[in-house]
Amino acid sequence: MDTWMDVQPAAITQSNTQRATRRERHPIAFCVASLLAFFWLVPLAWVILVSFKPQGSNVMNATGWVTPPYTIENYIEVFTKAPVALWIWNSFLVAVITTFLALLLSTLCAFPFSLGSFFGSRFLMFLIAIGLMVPGEATLIPLYVVFRNLNWLDSYQALILPGIAIPFGVLLLKQFFDGLPRELFEAAMMDGCGIVRMLFQIAVPLSRPALAALGIFTFLGSWNNFLWPFISTTSPQIMTIPVGIPFFNSSYHTDYTLPMAANVVVSVPVLVAFLLFQKQIIKGISFTGLK
Amino acid sequence: MNMVRRSPATYMMLLPFFVLYMYFTFYPIVKGFIISLQDYQILGEKTFVGWQNYRQLFADPTFWASVWHTVLFTLLSVPILVIVGFLLALLVNVPMRGQTFFRAVFFMPMILSVSVVSSVWTAILGSYGGLVDALLNAIGVKQQIFWLTDSKLAWVSILLITTWWTAGFNMVLYLAGLQEIPAEHYEAATIDGANAWQRLRYITIPGLRRVTVLVVFLQIIASFKVFAQVYLVTGGGPAGATRTLIQYIYEHAFNQFLFGPGAAASYVLFAMIFIVSLLQLRLISSAEQGG
Repeated sequence: MDTWMDVQPAAITQSNTQRATRRERHPIAFCVASLLAFFWLVPLAWVILVSFKPQGSNVMNATGWVTPPYTIENYIEVFTKAPVALWIWNSFLVAVITTFLALLLSTLCAFPFSLGSFFGSRFLMFLIAIGLMVPGEATLIPLYVVFRNLNWLDSYQALILPGIAIPFGVLLLKQFFDGLPRELFEAAMMDGCGIVRMLFQIAVPLSRPALAALGIFTFLGSWNNFLWPFISTTSPQIMTIPVGIPFFNSSYHTDYTLPMAANVVVSVPVLVAFLLFQKQIIKGISFTGLK
Repeated sequence: MNMVRRSPATYMMLLPFFVLYMYFTFYPIVKGFIISLQDYQILGEKTFVGWQNYRQLFADPTFWASVWHTVLFTLLSVPILVIVGFLLALLVNVPMRGQTFFRAVFFMPMILSVSVVSSVWTAILGSYGGLVDALLNAIGVKQQIFWLTDSKLAWVSILLITTWWTAGFNMVLYLAGLQEIPAEHYEAATIDGANAWQRLRYITIPGLRRVTVLVVFLQIIASFKVFAQVYLVTGGGPAGATRTLIQYIYEHAFNQFLFGPGAAASYVLFAMIFIVSLLQLRLISSAEQGG
């Protein structure tokens, strides 16, 4: 499917005069969009300003934000007072491992279903469909019990394992594999190609959009996951960003400068990643949403 | 395909996914139901009590209050988020300078962690020194407005925060939907003398029917699962006025260690989402039949 990013190059290459004049013809839309974008960006701009103000600044005075003094003291303190770098690393590690394993396991699982029925295939598909119906939020308590019995609460395992085998991933990939031409697989089978080779040499290279979309979906989901890490982690060394930030901020109720610096620090990696992979991220979202 | 049916490789491919899936998703679903029928002491006795947890739950006014808050949030947030997402998509679909930039700006908050979003907005809307407070102060409004601690304004604030944070997601889905409407339809309508409003009413909106069904249901399910931004911004307060169903579950299980009633409440959440999912399946299949 075409997404909005696909439309861009076409709009640019179609650089005839008609297109150019049409671009100029929407000053009202441009003004409305600019105004809205301003309101969308004000919170972030303010956070950045406050994060550079000295602690104890008079924040009641609106003009005080945009005038000096500024300091990087808050940033130094954030890194020395809290294991913020560790939280970023934890979030990254958990998200990368979860995404890699989710992609691998979902791909392996989805492919046989796409090649046709086999003994037990309907029953197994039914099991997966049940998982799709039940939101993870509804199974927090039993999941906590499971990890408690394993003695794995407050560990990387607890952060990673529940996020890997997601029914949505298998269904998305199966649907994509279903759309690949059957002749490819029949021909490969004639040549005596095994199912695993068929998957990795034929299906996977053709499924890059679906895999990228699922990868982005899983990564963002893991990176921003709050509820389960919030319940399962208690020690600051294991915390991810979503859990660490409230933990850190809860000790600063009156002065915003330190919490805002912490917010900026943990958001910079993901904002940079967004700017770099904007196109793929947006494409991935519309892909996973609309398929 | 014969090869698939016979090959033990098929089952080997399914195995890793299913091991994790059965252990961390499927088993908790069953286990959660069992816990909901037990007087479950995490360290001690687990005695079967039948439907007592459910009876206790249904007799608890704070449970019904949290269900009502969740339903209220859903009723308010779904139309707002769907319409804002739709309008943003229409706006940034207009060819204009900075189009890609505007799309990125409106989507960007979505990639920020819920903890950062909550922390930022707590500072923005906080009394005595928040951004809004200071701005109102600057224009001469001396009266304190308790955005987060007045029971009605707290909901307004949560809706505002949620809109800023997630409307961009719906925008992206709608934008993808807009690209699927053939340009010829608009050209034909223009030749027939249709004005902008008529083109929107008779081409755009009907053309987005499938996407709208999807966006609405994704939004309903997401809204039913509201927790983190409310919990982090208002803590469920003032006086429980913004306590959602997931917060009720969380507090029962992990603050009061009432696992049985917590698991029962989880099953109520599951039932609510299950009913919505079934409705969605029916509507999607009828939307597809209807073209």
